[in-house]
Amino acid sequence: MNFLVIPFLLLFLVSTPAADPVGAPSSQVAANGLRDSILRVNSTNQGYDFFQPWIKKESVNRRGVGALIEGGRILVTAELVENSTLIELEKADEPGKVTASIELIDFDCNLALLRPDDAAFLQGMTPLALETGLGSGDMASVLQLEPNGELAKTTGRISSVTIGGYPALNLGLLVFKLSAPLQQRDWSFTLPVVRNDRLCGMVMRYDSRNQTSDLIPPPVIAHFLKEASSERYRGFSRLGVSFSPLRDPQLRRYLGLEQQGGIYVKQVAPRSAAETAGLQKGDVILSVNGYGLDQDGNYTDPDFGKILFSHLTNTRMHPGDVCDVEILRDRKPVTLSVTTAVPDEDARPSRLHSGGRAPKYVVLGGLVFLELSRDYLKEWGGNWQNKAPQRLVYFDTFQDELPPDRGRIVILSQVLPSPGTIGYEQLENLIVTRVNGREIKSLEDLAEAADNPESGFQKIEFEEDPKMIFLDAGWIQEANAELMEHYGLPSLQRL
Amino acid sequence: MLRILILWIALLGPLVQASRITDSIVRIQSTSLEPDYKTPWNPGNVNSGAGTGFVIGGNWIMTNAHVVSNARFLTVFKEGAPQPWVARVAHVAHDCDLALLTVEEQEFFEGIAPLEFGGVPAIESIVSVYGYPIGGKRPSVTRGIVSRVDFQTYIHSGIDAHLAVQIDAAINPGNSGGPVLQDGKVVGVAFQGYRGDVAQNVGYMIPTPVVTRFLEDVKDGTYDRYMDLALNYEPLLNPAARRAFGLPDDNRGVRVSSIYATGSSDGIVQPGDVLLAIDGLEISSDGTIPIDANGPVPLTEVVERKFKGDTVVLDVLRAGKKKTLEVPLNSPWPFTLQGNAYDEKPRFVLFGGLIFQPADRNFMDAHDPGNQRLNYIFSYFVDDEIHKKIAEPVVIAGILPDPVNSYAGEFLYVPVESINGDPIRSIDDVAAAFAKPMEHHVISFVGDERPIVLERGLVAEARPRILERYGVTSEQNLKK
Repeated sequence: MNFLVIPFLLLFLVSTPAADPVGAPSSQVAANGLRDSILRVNSTNQGYDFFQPWIKKESVNRRGVGALIEGGRILVTAELVENSTLIELEKADEPGKVTASIELIDFDCNLALLRPDDAAFLQGMTPLALETGLGSGDMASVLQLEPNGELAKTTGRISSVTIGGYPALNLGLLVFKLSAPLQQRDWSFTLPVVRNDRLCGMVMRYDSRNQTSDLIPPPVIAHFLKEASSERYRGFSRLGVSFSPLRDPQLRRYLGLEQQGGIYVKQVAPRSAAETAGLQKGDVILSVNGYGLDQDGNYTDPDFGKILFSHLTNTRMHPGDVCDVEILRDRKPVTLSVTTAVPDEDARPSRLHSGGRAPKYVVLGGLVFLELSRDYLKEWGGNWQNKAPQRLVYFDTFQDELPPDRGRIVILSQVLPSPGTIGYEQLENLIVTRVNGREIKSLEDLAEAADNPESGFQKIEFEEDPKMIFLDAGWIQEANAELMEHYGLPSLQRL
Repeated sequence: MLRILILWIALLGPLVQASRITDSIVRIQSTSLEPDYKTPWNPGNVNSGAGTGFVIGGNWIMTNAHVVSNARFLTVFKEGAPQPWVARVAHVAHDCDLALLTVEEQEFFEGIAPLEFGGVPAIESIVSVYGYPIGGKRPSVTRGIVSRVDFQTYIHSGIDAHLAVQIDAAINPGNSGGPVLQDGKVVGVAFQGYRGDVAQNVGYMIPTPVVTRFLEDVKDGTYDRYMDLALNYEPLLNPAARRAFGLPDDNRGVRVSSIYATGSSDGIVQPGDVLLAIDGLEISSDGTIPIDANGPVPLTEVVERKFKGDTVVLDVLRAGKKKTLEVPLNSPWPFTLQGNAYDEKPRFVLFGGLIFQPADRNFMDAHDPGNQRLNYIFSYFVDDEIHKKIAEPVVIAGILPDPVNSYAGEFLYVPVESINGDPIRSIDDVAAAFAKPMEHHVISFVGDERPIVLERGLVAEARPRILERYGVTSEQNLKK
């Protein structure tokens, strides 16, 4: 689950953005202008060191501009406040800071809602309403703040509407590209975008060479806010299919496709909505909810024209909504009813995003055990796909092909050498299969299994050589205190 | 890493003129044809290079395998004489980088005193390296001391490690195959080293135990290669592990962690066996044995000195009971996919403009495919026992663009799983699958990919067009 829900959420319901008249000038923004609707956000962020998960890395400061929305909340990108230890808000032209907390964060859509710890701080400010109905070709303005508190407004044109480009790797959401030259201010590109004095996007990235910004567009923000105002935040669903375009006429003839369009299902993700609904590799998806798909997977959206059908299933629909998927299977048309759902990321063999949560670990007699994750592999740096241990990269990359009951991949990450681990100093990045005879499908399994040593030994088995090692269970008990002191471990496990 | 850092000595050396130093040392000039793994129907690129050889008893010229690999024409020059003598390779051992050449004309050997072999030189003793290296036309001699005697990877094959002697005499391109002498006897054959920007004065020679083993092996007319137990063992240093396995605290024994299917030990040794002795030599808990005065060496040195058909006797502890196992050495290391191959032609099948090739080491080096799945299959072919399912991964290595294959571009380097439902375990299977008269050829790939469908009619129509347009001279080669 890539989100956190904080209580009190229901106390502040937002009005649904769709209820606002499209394009009408906002009466909410007073003469003082947009400066009364935006805040500087300073966030001190400190991520975990996945090699030594008991410590945090050096802290970094990120700055951005947040948009005040209804309910006394400030909308920012999730990246701005990822792993935050302290968030401070500042008004554009008034001295004084106030701390803030994250009320809701979702890395899938790269959005977060902040709430000042002192609600009185927002007195006299005006929330921004959400603008809808804009698309390719429309003008919009990015808001930045000068050091002196003056508003810097840069207007540009939305040049394209596409899918993809969010930090969440397995979900394609709508993105607007805005052409406008932005100046570097406060080293940040978390910036609100407005049209008609209404919020119409958040900048999440700026490409200075092409002078284009990637915006989180109104439909994604609206979906996020609607979910935020519902009883339980569920987020963005995924169908769980990967597909291939069907352009090749030889393949089309072979599949018996007489009509135009359609896409080839390459893979159905385990535990996904598509799997539950019975979609299979080799099916040809012809339409979703009556929208015909072209050979590249695009449908004609009433607002944005030709875009990838995932916008339909992950943003226009909310989790739990049912859609009809018309497919061709063995040359026969079949219609499947798919209940869209947010997959349980915790069930993945290797998590793709930690969502800012502290990584789990178990230290057993100096042996450091972790659950494999993309964040762990990324510790090898920019070229991690080639530098990290290839076997782990393979299992992470192709985890959807593992048996459905594989569970989490637990690894022996490294050994903190001590007298009890003689001969094991070189062991690292091995996949754990069993501990004391018990199959290991999570770090919790390992912790429990370690409570039941076999005749005084901790017996640990791996997929790779050396296949099996032993530790003296009694020695581990005695050595723990010294181990914690020598290596500065605050605790021997975090689950 | 080692493979990248070390520089080939011989073939990179420029051609140098013959010149006199001793009667027994010759300059070898090789014209080779380097196979082209990107356009596999082409004969390849003609290269020339030079190395050193020396005459030994029996009218042989000894040199390195890498001096004569892929050679199409070999000439040798006696020092001081301009006359080239045509030579040919009689025996080549790519796993230990040695070769024997012959010269048909017996008068070549007249007046040449064959060099004799000595033993393994002592550390710090002085040796002289003879050869025709870069830096001048006449033969050169350099001197140095023996720095180290240890196991080293022989980079010619890239997968074999044998005893090697490190010396600090200068060894340079062109020295390869030349003798290293001490007290008038050959104590080694210069063969590899580090480039100067990597390590200073580090050169290696093949010591006489390896050389004499090669000469012994080829006595029956064929080279059988090095034998291998084909198992992995782990040290038993940890006291808790020793107690768990019921072993006394005597620093003896290593535990077998895995056995490679089809290898010599398969079916005889079991994973979990504790190896206590090999041919009566006690195995220490770090896997070394005291085989001779040079100090402890890995237990595999016993196997290194044996030949096909010999037996290794292992004393093992299995489930707490002592057992004596006899392992007949019938097969060399069975997985050559990951090793450099020489004197081989690229194997391929061209169909519908798609070039199918097996992804062996030569292929991987030539193409450097960035496909993660293929890299995994290649790298873990042995360790993850992928060899039990397929003999070699087969991929689409190239596409000759034509309307028949306009949409196949995304499948470059993706491993092929099946064609028309027939599993593809080698390039031969690809040829067999396409030979079947099917209306559609459905090529399926490993993992989450759509299939490629090729219609028989369209392929037939495209065939002459592709062959002509791209100058293809042959549509398949299945022979190494």
